[in-house]
Amino acid sequence: MLSAFISAFKTPDLRKKILFTLGIIAIYRLGATLPSPGVAYGNVQQCVEAMKTGDQSGVFTLLNLFSGGALMSLSVFALGIMPYITASIILQLLTVVIPRLEQLRKEGQAGQAKITQYTRYLTLGLAVLQSSAFIALARSGQLFNNMCNEFPIVPQTSLPDWVTVGMLVITMTAGTGVVMWLGELITDRGVGNGMSVLIFTSIAARLPSEGWQILDSQGVWGFVGVIALVLVVITLVVYIEQAQRRIPVQYAKRMVGRRMYGGTSTYIPLKVNQAGVIPVIFASSLLYLPQLALDFMRSDNPGKVYIFIEKYFATPTSWSYILTYGLLILFFTYFYVSITFNPTEVADNMKKYGGFVPGIRPGKPTADYLSFILSRITLPGALYLAIIAVLPNLFFIALDSQAYQNFPFGGTAVLIMVGVGLETVKQIESQLMQRSYEGFLR
Amino acid sequence: MGVTFRLKNTFRRFLERPGTTVDLRPFEKLLPEIEARGEELADLSDEELTELAGQAKELVEICALGREAGWRALGERAYDVQVLGVLALLGKTVAEMATGEGKTLAAAIAAYGHVVRGFGPVHVITVNDYLARRDAGWMEPVYKLLGLTVGYVTGLSTPAERREAYKQDVTYVSVSEAGFDYLRDQLATDIDDRIQAELGTAIVDEADSILIDEARVPMVLAGTIANEQDPVHTAAALVRALRPKRDYEITDDGRSAAFTSEGLARLEKVLGDIDLYDTEHIAQLSALNVALHAEALLERDVDYIVRNQTVELVDEMRGRVAHRRRWPDGLHAAVEAKEGLNATAEGEVLGTITVQAYVMLYPNLAGMTATAVHVGDELREYYSLEVAVIPSNTPCVREDEEDHIYATNAERDEALIEVIREHHEAGRPVLIGTLDVSASQILHKGLTDAGVPCVVLNAKNDDEEAAIIAEAGTYGAVTVSTQMAGRGVDIRLGGSDQSDRERVAELGGLYVIGSGRHNSRRVDDQLRGRAGRQGDPGGSIFFVSLEDDLVRHHAADSLPAWPKMKFGGLVDDERVTAAVEHAQRVAEGVNHEIHRNTWRYSVVIEQQRKALAERRERLLTTEVAAEMLKARCPEKADEIEDDSLLELGRAIALFHLDRLWAEHLAELAEVREGVHLRALGRVDPLDEFHRSAVPAFNRLIPEIEERTVATFEEMDLDEGWAPERAELIRPSATWTYLVNDNPFGSELDRLISMVGRTMKSRG
Repeated sequence: MLSAFISAFKTPDLRKKILFTLGIIAIYRLGATLPSPGVAYGNVQQCVEAMKTGDQSGVFTLLNLFSGGALMSLSVFALGIMPYITASIILQLLTVVIPRLEQLRKEGQAGQAKITQYTRYLTLGLAVLQSSAFIALARSGQLFNNMCNEFPIVPQTSLPDWVTVGMLVITMTAGTGVVMWLGELITDRGVGNGMSVLIFTSIAARLPSEGWQILDSQGVWGFVGVIALVLVVITLVVYIEQAQRRIPVQYAKRMVGRRMYGGTSTYIPLKVNQAGVIPVIFASSLLYLPQLALDFMRSDNPGKVYIFIEKYFATPTSWSYILTYGLLILFFTYFYVSITFNPTEVADNMKKYGGFVPGIRPGKPTADYLSFILSRITLPGALYLAIIAVLPNLFFIALDSQAYQNFPFGGTAVLIMVGVGLETVKQIESQLMQRSYEGFLR
Repeated sequence: MGVTFRLKNTFRRFLERPGTTVDLRPFEKLLPEIEARGEELADLSDEELTELAGQAKELVEICALGREAGWRALGERAYDVQVLGVLALLGKTVAEMATGEGKTLAAAIAAYGHVVRGFGPVHVITVNDYLARRDAGWMEPVYKLLGLTVGYVTGLSTPAERREAYKQDVTYVSVSEAGFDYLRDQLATDIDDRIQAELGTAIVDEADSILIDEARVPMVLAGTIANEQDPVHTAAALVRALRPKRDYEITDDGRSAAFTSEGLARLEKVLGDIDLYDTEHIAQLSALNVALHAEALLERDVDYIVRNQTVELVDEMRGRVAHRRRWPDGLHAAVEAKEGLNATAEGEVLGTITVQAYVMLYPNLAGMTATAVHVGDELREYYSLEVAVIPSNTPCVREDEEDHIYATNAERDEALIEVIREHHEAGRPVLIGTLDVSASQILHKGLTDAGVPCVVLNAKNDDEEAAIIAEAGTYGAVTVSTQMAGRGVDIRLGGSDQSDRERVAELGGLYVIGSGRHNSRRVDDQLRGRAGRQGDPGGSIFFVSLEDDLVRHHAADSLPAWPKMKFGGLVDDERVTAAVEHAQRVAEGVNHEIHRNTWRYSVVIEQQRKALAERRERLLTTEVAAEMLKARCPEKADEIEDDSLLELGRAIALFHLDRLWAEHLAELAEVREGVHLRALGRVDPLDEFHRSAVPAFNRLIPEIEERTVATFEEMDLDEGWAPERAELIRPSATWTYLVNDNPFGSELDRLISMVGRTMKSRG
């Protein structure tokens, strides 16, 4: 992998692309730390300090993770790439409902370009809504679990409130527009998928400070131990992410020039982790619900139900919580795989174009065969996801601390980072291969 | 020019919309200078003009000399707009010039300009042999005055004639002849056998047609290989006995067909209760699949015609018979078997290049056409070419009427014949463009029955066709032709001698009728463009039926259930008009997507081809093969003289290089076919394709060496060695299974389609 990078840098074309991507990432990070006008930066820092020591299980922590900490500091890029992702999903869903969008989608590139344009407008719309909501939450202190009410992030000034708030909304919306553009620039002219690279950046950006925190609280040896463990986990993830079962496929459409090339060139790759990171996100989102309920039920003399939920379903170190989390992940993995990999559809497609699995008849027998293999391979995949996801919780028990609730070495973050990393490296590798003929003969 | 118009134009230019990026204003400023210089040149003798022509370097001088030469040689003085066209061509852009504006002369002057500025030799690439011959002959006096030599190549040229033609300063050649000459040179085993000189500049005539429509057509050189058994006729007979829907199914887009379980059971029973999906029966299964494709998807007189006991392909883009073109992979033999003809030998691919890749071999590229702006984005994407829109000399006054849409084919045809009859009786010349050969035959029959005499152009040769189309403007003429017929030939009002010009002009000029919308607006525009040449009066209209393939394939679900209708089946409903336009946009998108995908996958093959061509060049021109043999098998190499070793080593190495390349191409074709399945593992199919193609190619070079050494070691030095040369044939076709390389869509798409299905099943 390292050698791939070195040779990538030796190829002028690719070097330009990589440097371009790094440049965009730098701009993105700059914007993520740049405070918006009207925000008291000193207060932000004090607030972040306060948050570190306290209990930080809030609804917005996951969002904060995706924005690389930019959300909590209400910076120019506070909303990050999320509005764009949300808008893309909404428009995709709307194509099912609105015939006009469905028509556009069918018109190929030209139509797709129009849909992209709508996505951009919707992103800006969402950005206005979200920034207003977050600013309101920040002003009321809820964004920080009411922990830093003594340091108002948006302090009162001589200007009327609507000017300050309006300015903030405009800044953040514009920031979102810029982030969207940066993402598209990476996709078009850089390496990797813009959205993924930016999410990767946000998560990776938190590594140094979190690492520092561990070093601070656990001492040098504890820190080394954690790093070693993390490396082991990452290695494991890299291996399993690449593991796949290859089902050979043969196409019987050609009368000449057909040879058997060991039968390895055409196959369906079934990944051990066919579902990716989505089940983990689903499961953890679902497990936020008890926490959210507690926030609403909070009172001075908690009832039995409150205590029950708090003890068993809102404490990440309790065994019932870990078990529920794991089971939810198992369930969502099967659920998601069954949706995204439809054996019947795949079998039909193969049949349509004259392909078949050697020794197995097309149509239903093929679909049955595929779903048999799939169900067998999904179990280890689901277990693997569950283990990676609950590792941090086990970790809390070992360290006897809740301070690392969302620390970036956690399951979700590692899965996302490794996933994006692998994807990007593969793309670089492929482009590198394409260009390997220059000077081929010397 | 209004302020809003200017603002809009500025904005379009800012957005880099095609057709706005080339600024003609600097060129326009040169026009007075060119005019002035032209007046000076008028006094010179022909000899002095020729002498000056050899020294010209400046744009002004080139244009002035070219204009003067055109005037003296042909009596045609290039208009200012033609000069602008010349300047655009010299600036390596695609010049959009309206029909009849004298593209041929502009190209000739530009060709001269490129040669004299040191970018020669220039190839003027035409769409067919007829135009290559005609234009070369027509422009010869101009070139002669300018001190240049000119040649042309047609399908009938002998290798010696070709070699001679390519030696000239300017060569007129059709794109397929040029491409095949290049491919054949790539397989030459002796330097002296090569035909083409180096490639300098290409000026592409009808650039949209060649650079976009035909770009993905691969030119394939194949060798015949003996086929021991003949499964095609049995397969054809078996498949013929099947019934559609029950035994096999065709997809909605009409691009693929598959047996149903019932059909399979039937076939297996006839074949003697075998399991076709057993590995030992794969040859039979392939034959049946190909036979099914031939039976169910290819239609006689639409996709091919049968003439003189042979199957001839119809070019899907041009609607014309494509000479010497074959379907690949045994499909051609299967079609022959379907028609009860003798199946010809199958070809193994020896070398292949797409039109696009071939054209891009030229260091300098320019083009001209009447319809370029529509494909501006694609020209930029694939060739980095910009479009220069040249204003027309006289404004176009053609009246383009709105489409007439009918519910059924029968109603459409009836109305169509009625309209033609009316115009014919009034004496107005009518040109009808049909979508395919069979449609033109049906129309011919209908017109004859209605008592309207008409000329039908299909499957005739290019020369006759040109002669007929030139007369399409004659008083009372009715001409039926497929879309591209006679392109490049002017239709003058009142016939080629313009005797009845006034009378025809008074009736409204040529009336162009399309008997259905084509797969792209651009082709529609080309057809319309046949009328209204150089400010002539003219009109155009399209008659669409909701049963047209275009509408059925791409807009079946957007049509309202009960469209508003007028008397006679004429549909008058905005929703229907919108649906027809939508269908056309979908078709354009599909074609674009196929083009893009073909291109993306061919890039790596193209690089490999170039790398191997370099290697081949070295084998051919240096002594590397002999040196290698000396190093690897010194004993045996010492037994023969250096000269014979050189020759022998070269022959063996070249033979194995060509063979391995053919095998490599077959392997890549195999990978390409199933690579879309990899998307299911969340990887990019294109990346995966590279991952297979690159290592396979890297194994090629050592393998060539190994095989060369092995052959040399095994051979008997006394007997000599002769490779089994396959006879070259040249098939070529468009052959696409998949529009998209990820038919399942992204994971999000799959999720959403699942949601959609659930909603629809409930709703």
